[in-house]
Amino acid sequence: MSLPTRLRSFVRSLVHRSTLENEMKSEVWFHVESRAADLEAAGLTRSQALRQAKVEFGPVATHTDGMRQALGLRWFDELRGDLLYSARMFRRTPGFALVAIASLALGIGANTVIFTLAKGVLLDRLAVRKPGELRLFAILLDKKSPVHSVWGSFFRNPDGRTYTSSFSYPAYQLLRQQNQAHPVIGDLFAFKDPRRMTISVDGHADVVSPEVVSGNYYEQLGVHASLGRAIKPSDDAVPGAGAVAVISDGLWSRMFGRSPLVIGKTIELNLIPVTIVGVNPPDFTGAAIVQSSPDVFLPLSMQPVLFPTGKASLLSNKDNWWLQVMARTKPGVKDSEARAAISVWLEQDIRATMKVGKDDQMPTFVLSDGSQGMASLNRTFKQPIFVLLAMTALVLLLASANLANLLLARSSSRQRELAVRMALGATRARVMRQVLTESLLLSSLGGTAGLMLGYLCRSAIPHLLTSAWDPTKLNTRFDLKIFAFTAALSILTGVLFGIGPAWKATRTEVNTGLKESSAASTRRRKGLAGPALVVFQVALSMLLVAGGGLFARTLVNLSKAEIGFDPSGILLFDVQAPEARYPKPRDITLHARIEEQIAAVPGVQSVTLTQLPMLASSMSNTDFVPTDQPKPAEGTAVANVNEVGRTFFSTFRIPILYGRGFGATDTTTSPAVAVVNEAIVKRFYPNQNPIGRTFKGDNDKVYQIVGVSRDSKYTDLRETIDPTFYILYNQSAEDSEMTYAVKTSIPTTDLLPRLRAAVQLIDRDLPLRDIRTQQEQIDATISQERLFATLTGAFGLLALTLACIGIYGIMAYDVARRTNEIGVRMALGARAGMVLRMILRESIWMAVAGIALGVAGAFGLTRFVSTMLYGLKAMDAATMIGAAAVLFVVAIAAGYGPARRASRIDPIVALRHE
Amino acid sequence: MGKQVDLLQGTLDLLILKAVSLGPLHGYGVLLRIQQISGEQLEIQQGSLYPALYRLEHQGWIASEWGESDNNRKAKFYSLTDTGKKQLRSEEDRWNRMAAVMATILKTTSEEI
Repeated sequence: MSLPTRLRSFVRSLVHRSTLENEMKSEVWFHVESRAADLEAAGLTRSQALRQAKVEFGPVATHTDGMRQALGLRWFDELRGDLLYSARMFRRTPGFALVAIASLALGIGANTVIFTLAKGVLLDRLAVRKPGELRLFAILLDKKSPVHSVWGSFFRNPDGRTYTSSFSYPAYQLLRQQNQAHPVIGDLFAFKDPRRMTISVDGHADVVSPEVVSGNYYEQLGVHASLGRAIKPSDDAVPGAGAVAVISDGLWSRMFGRSPLVIGKTIELNLIPVTIVGVNPPDFTGAAIVQSSPDVFLPLSMQPVLFPTGKASLLSNKDNWWLQVMARTKPGVKDSEARAAISVWLEQDIRATMKVGKDDQMPTFVLSDGSQGMASLNRTFKQPIFVLLAMTALVLLLASANLANLLLARSSSRQRELAVRMALGATRARVMRQVLTESLLLSSLGGTAGLMLGYLCRSAIPHLLTSAWDPTKLNTRFDLKIFAFTAALSILTGVLFGIGPAWKATRTEVNTGLKESSAASTRRRKGLAGPALVVFQVALSMLLVAGGGLFARTLVNLSKAEIGFDPSGILLFDVQAPEARYPKPRDITLHARIEEQIAAVPGVQSVTLTQLPMLASSMSNTDFVPTDQPKPAEGTAVANVNEVGRTFFSTFRIPILYGRGFGATDTTTSPAVAVVNEAIVKRFYPNQNPIGRTFKGDNDKVYQIVGVSRDSKYTDLRETIDPTFYILYNQSAEDSEMTYAVKTSIPTTDLLPRLRAAVQLIDRDLPLRDIRTQQEQIDATISQERLFATLTGAFGLLALTLACIGIYGIMAYDVARRTNEIGVRMALGARAGMVLRMILRESIWMAVAGIALGVAGAFGLTRFVSTMLYGLKAMDAATMIGAAAVLFVVAIAAGYGPARRASRIDPIVALRHE
Repeated sequence: MGKQVDLLQGTLDLLILKAVSLGPLHGYGVLLRIQQISGEQLEIQQGSLYPALYRLEHQGWIASEWGESDNNRKAKFYSLTDTGKKQLRSEEDRWNRMAAVMATILKTTSEEI
């Protein structure tokens, strides 16, 4: 009775099918002949004996069928029959099959593409040993917190607190020691993805993204180098030492041609020599993100040399929180217990290392899921994915409705044939199975085509998301999960949308079925299934078109948003002064010299430096405490700050409203000055003249306000303008990397070589990084909105097409079915125009009902996307009316063809038509 | 020859296994053997023997082989496999238990309750 035996026997019978049939025949024949021989021996004549033997044996066909069934062959024979029959039907009506398959291919293809994206964001985990065990350390910061200075991504929680996974190095070390003394979790390890660095290999320079990691990082993650060795604890022992690097598989291909000689090779990172000791496995992407891998991995001990910040090394800095910390769960210790213990330690460590003000709230420690790296923190990133998944589900529903629609029409026209089958003894289940086989065949063909479509489009989305100067290598792995998803989707569609038509097909009474289809001169409504499906399709399209409209208008509104400065003709690029060659404060001198040199380049109208590029989704904020005012009791006294060059305001065409901008008298040695925006005046100096007042910034440095500039946007297009002040880079200089903004009226391609030459006059080794126009920079901040507008627009268009096919199909079928009736009407005197209107009225009715249903649905659904919109409400009247109008026109257009055909029916032909 | 008895539901398989256990047989031989050992008391639909044979073979309890019959014709011979022997034993047990239980039940008179 074992399964393998039966399976073997089944396969054997399948493979040797003709032998099997012959054997069955001869076995039966042997029986009959033997019996006949015995009977003959008993005294019957030869022919009597043979007849008697056959009678005793019984019906041969039934018994051989029983034998086949015993081998499990029957269902296979039936399936083959059904498939052959379906294929024959498709060949006879190729249009039907094509429309159904194409609809499904589009629907399933769209789902495959979005699922690929969603999988990367929602499902993919770090390529390390047991990623489910990883826990990422995170903190929730109150407005008043001892932690002031955070370097790294952070997210606003709905309750107004800030969510971040950044820790200071001293805090990390104390926590690690405390955990080693009383373990509640696996050994702590740490990493950080700092800014990109310049790599030089054999005189060839490029830009790479690094990840600095603690010595136990590889050991704890359970990752082994595919070539050479990983980073060891001994590499990370002494600050400033440990100049070794493990490179990614991608960089190994890109820069070293996968040569094994790369091990032991010395390269330069930011002009610091580093020896390559290993290559990562191809699927390893570091611990921070799942989608793409940093290029080089270095020990944390190299931080003070590789990317020094501020005066003190980050490894001893107690105030700067910047490092990501992870650990594996400890068997037998619940997350809540570990969290409680670490919370206590963290509070002790903060009190031990930092100054805690009396109103300061201690950060709340959170032990968050680390299986996707840092992705678990960013909840906002998931919403767009869910919206896209929902929209593609709607598209598939639309496509499936077309399938159901067509199958319904088909089953009505096959009523007579099915009635004949049932009259001949086919069971209802057997007939349903046949119709279901047909729908499953259609859906699998559609699914296969959809999968191919999805495969071809798999890189379209990452392409839309990346900017030209910063090619993010988004990982769109096309794997088994996607295949399984598509297969499941196809089968589900086939079954769900085939079962209705199959049921309907078998519902006919054999008697009426056989009689009915001949003379139908009066109109007979056979249920509302067809029109209801079309109404449903129109409603879905209404939703999708309206959605597309909302996101398109959001994009338009964003690109028209008032930003407060003039981005036209501004070219941006970054220059980093390598610490090895330009230790502070010589980097300031370098930047000053480059600024001067570039200003002299022909074609440059003006040039300025900024610490942060404008509208690049980055920000820096500091304390803002007016010295001559009592400290505000409530709320925080912080403002955004940007370090800029003297000509910043004129380059960006930001008007100075009162006082003055920066001038030649403001030098490195003169008193520190600042220009503030209107929002600062409104917030800190209501109804006062701020000119000449002083305030304290970070580290209690005092600035004097010399001017007020008009408000302009700083971080991104959606922001409401925050209090912001500008200071001179040569009076502070926190960073060695600055963004240059060059105002010009000549094309970039002409200007760029001159700019390069100008910079190389000062230092041959300084590359111009990330060259882009200010407009491109702004566009990059709304790339997600653009992706949304593009995708939802495409979905809307797809929906319109599918609905069009649906309406056309149902109307064409209706007209064909009613040819006789229309003939009679015309014979009795109906004019062509009347017939046209009669048929059109039907599609108008379906369109109006569908639109109404769609608007009702939009009321319920659009509020889920309201946070993603800009400058309009979720139920934007213009969008809704526009979408409704488009759908109405499309519905009429789709119905017009069949209506016109109806109006041209020749009564004589029609009356003969059956 | 007394009156023939109709076959009880589900007993055909057991009969075939028993018949084949006594030595390899072709289909017609199985029929003859059953009739012989039952003293011609069982009525078997001859054709229905074959689906049952195929089912038993499909389940791996009997195996088949083409060979020569007594009258020198090609015939398919069935023999019991090892798993078939086990199956036969357990079926026998079941049958005997069932028969015993049925016998006890049917012997019961009203005084015994």
